[in-house]
Amino acid sequence: MVVRQYQEEIKYLEKITETCWRIKKGFQPNMKVEGVFYVNNSLERLMFDELKNACRPGAVGGFLPGMKQIANVAALPGIVWRSVGLPDVHSGYGFAIGNMAAFDMNDPKSIVSPGGVGFDINCGVRLLRTNLFEEDVLPVKEQLAQSMFDHIPVGVGSKGIIPMNARDLEEALEMGMDWSLREGYIWAEDKEHCEEYGRMLNADSSKVSMRAKKRGLPQLGTLGAGNHYAEIQVVDEIYDKWAACKMGIEEKGQICVMIHSGSRGFGHQVATDALVQMEKAMKRDNIETNDRQLACAHIKSQEGQDYLKAMAAAANFAWVNRSSMTFLSRQAFAKQFQQSPDDLDMHVIYDVSHNIAKIEEHMVDGKQKTLLVHRKGSTRALPPHHPLIPVDYQLTGQPVLIGGTMGTCSYVLTGTEQAMKETFGSTCHGAGRALSRAKSRRNLDYTDVLEKLERQGISIRVASPKLVMEEAPESYKNVTDVVNTCHAAGISRKCIKLRPIAVIKG
Amino acid sequence: MSTMFKRRLQALGYLEWKKVNINDPQHFRKVVLWLEDQKIRQYDIQDRKDLRNIKSEYWPKAFAKYCKDVQCPIFDNDVDQLEWLIGCAIWLETDNDIEQYSQNIKEMKLKMKQEALVPRLKSKNPLDNLDFENNQFQEGVYSVAKLLRIPRHPNHLVTLKACSKLVQRRLNSECLRNPNSKIVRGKPFPIMNCDPGFQLKKTAVENAAKILALLYIQDIRNLQTKINEVIVRVQNITANPKTDTKLGKVGK
Repeated sequence: MVVRQYQEEIKYLEKITETCWRIKKGFQPNMKVEGVFYVNNSLERLMFDELKNACRPGAVGGFLPGMKQIANVAALPGIVWRSVGLPDVHSGYGFAIGNMAAFDMNDPKSIVSPGGVGFDINCGVRLLRTNLFEEDVLPVKEQLAQSMFDHIPVGVGSKGIIPMNARDLEEALEMGMDWSLREGYIWAEDKEHCEEYGRMLNADSSKVSMRAKKRGLPQLGTLGAGNHYAEIQVVDEIYDKWAACKMGIEEKGQICVMIHSGSRGFGHQVATDALVQMEKAMKRDNIETNDRQLACAHIKSQEGQDYLKAMAAAANFAWVNRSSMTFLSRQAFAKQFQQSPDDLDMHVIYDVSHNIAKIEEHMVDGKQKTLLVHRKGSTRALPPHHPLIPVDYQLTGQPVLIGGTMGTCSYVLTGTEQAMKETFGSTCHGAGRALSRAKSRRNLDYTDVLEKLERQGISIRVASPKLVMEEAPESYKNVTDVVNTCHAAGISRKCIKLRPIAVIKG
Repeated sequence: MSTMFKRRLQALGYLEWKKVNINDPQHFRKVVLWLEDQKIRQYDIQDRKDLRNIKSEYWPKAFAKYCKDVQCPIFDNDVDQLEWLIGCAIWLETDNDIEQYSQNIKEMKLKMKQEALVPRLKSKNPLDNLDFENNQFQEGVYSVAKLLRIPRHPNHLVTLKACSKLVQRRLNSECLRNPNSKIVRGKPFPIMNCDPGFQLKKTAVENAAKILALLYIQDIRNLQTKINEVIVRVQNITANPKTDTKLGKVGK
C-alpha cells in the first residue's frame, strides 16, 4: 500500500453524483480501470473515517480500508469497466465485501479469484411467503420459533436431520436443487424461482477435496453460525404494489419466512484449497497483484478451471442446503397450523446468491461481451425482460432479497436497467459490518442485546447467546441507509420492507 | 456419452458393462450380437450367423443389413446406431415387463398412445377436400368469428386460426365442464402504465412492443407450467423425503 497523508489520498476521490464517488487511477498502483462506490451522507462518513484511520501513522494490522481494496481489485488483470463498491461495502479478505468486478472471458490474461467470491460460497437469501397474517401468528409466535429451532439445527458444529450418505452428497453436488426435487424435499415451482434454477451446470465434484466433502456431509440442512439466520417476518411496508403483487404479497401484515445461509464448512474448505493452488499458479504465470490476499489464476488455466468447477459444486451445496431448510420450515409451519404447506401457500418468492462468480453476457462500450462477474457481498439485480429471470418476474425485474441484521428490517428490491449500465446488474446484499466482530464483543453486552430484542417483541432462539453481540444491529451499517442509497442511485428499486417477529440463529 | 452407454447396458444386464469400450470394433460387435441374442431377437437363431461371425471382414455389411431389418432410422454413424439399438432393447424390455411398472407409467403410456392416435385419423379428414378459398367458406369463417367475437382479419385463414385457438383453449370439453380450472384468473397488471424497461420513440410502436412482450411472456409461462408438470410426474416416482431427528445436533 502506498503510504500517503489523508489529504493526499482524498485528491484521488471525486464525487460524481449525489450517491456515487469515483476512485481515480493512481490511488493504488497499476489500476487498470477506475473504482466507484455508492454511498449516502452517513455511509460516506463511515467510508472516509475508515480511510482516515488507516492513514494515521503507525496504523497496522487488520484489513485494508474498503476504498483501498476496491482500488486493488481495479488493478487485477483483465478487469473491465470499473471496480464497484456497493453501499454496504466493508473490508474483507482480498476483495471488500460489497465489491463486484467483471473480467473479460476472451482476454487470456483475465483472472478468477476466490477472494472475489468469499469463503462462504453461494451464501444467499431465500424468501418464502405464506397466506398467514400477523394476527394469526402472534398468539403462537413462541411455539413457532421453538418449532423452527427444533427443525433447523443451528450453530457451529451443528448437524442436519436429513439422512445423507457420501453418494447422496456426490449427487447433490452435481445436481443442486434438482437433487432436492428428485428426492421430494421441494416443489417444482421452487426451482423456477431460484437464481440459476438452483443448479450450476459446470459443477464437478471430482475437483473438490475429500476434506471439504467430509466437512460438508453432516452439515446439509443446517443454518450455521455468524450472520446466518432464519426469520419469521411481517410485511411492514409495500413501496411497489404491482411488483409485490407479482410476488404474491398483497397486504401489509402478511407473514414471510427468510432463510439466510450458505455452503457451511464445505464452501470454506473449497475456497481454502483453491487459495493454496492459486498461490502456486501466480508464481508460475507471473501474475502480480497489489495484495497477497488477492490470490488468483488465469480463468483458462487448470487452477482457474478447477476452482470454477469446485465453486459451482459448493454453490449447488448451498442451494440444496437452503432447499432442505425450506422443507423443514414448511414442516414446522404445517405442524403448528395443522394445514399443509400447500394450503399455507408457502411458495418461494425468490432465492438469491450474494457470494458467487458467474459467466454472463453484458454490454461494454456498446459491444456484447462474455464476462466472469465476481459478486462478493453483492446481489445480482437483473432488469425487466432479462432472459435469465423467471417468467413471473419478467415485467417487474428480478427480486433482490436484502437480509437485515438480527432485529432490524429486511427488504425486497427489484432489478433495474440502470444497474445493467452501471454495475453489471448488481446491487447491495445487506447491512454490511461497521464494527469488527472483536470490537463488537468488547463494546456490547449480550444480555443488553437480548433484552432489546425482547422489548421490540422479537422472539429469539439462539445456539450460543454469548456471541449475539457480534451480530447486534449496532455492529452493522444501517440497512435502511444502504437500501435507500441503492434506490436513489437507481441500481435497484424498493419494493417491500419486512420486519422480524422471530429469529433463530447460531 | 460413454457413461450413459454403460449405465444403459448395465440396466439391461450386460455382464461386462464396466469394461466395454465402444471404440474397439470387437467390443462393439459383441454388444450388438448380445443385444440381438438376448433382447431384440429380430432374426431366428440360424439367421444370426453373419452377425455371430464377429471376426469376419464382412461383419459391417451384416450389421448394415441388420440395422435396416430392425428399421433403425440412422445410417451414417455406427455409434449412433448402437445407441439406437440399446434404446430399442430397453423399450422392448420395459414393454415385456409392463406389469411390474407403476400405474403411473401405464397411464402415461396410454395417454401417449391415445395422443399418437389422433393425428393418424387426420389422413381421412373430410375437411381436406374442402376449397378453402371459395366465398361460401370465407363467409362461414367470418360468421363463426362473429359468434366468437373475434375481430375480422382481411385474410380469412388468419381469422380461422384465431377461432381455432379460442375453441381449443376455452371451449374444449374439459374447459366447458369446469371453466375455472382452465381460465387463469390473475390480477390485472397495469402494463400500459408501467415502465416497460425499454423506450421507443412512438407511443404506438411502444404499445405494440409491450403487447408482443406480454404474448411472449404468456408463451414462456405455458412452457414453464408444462416443465413443472413433468417434474411433478417424475417426483411421483422418485420422491421419498426423509428426516431423522436423532441425527440432529445443535451447535455452539
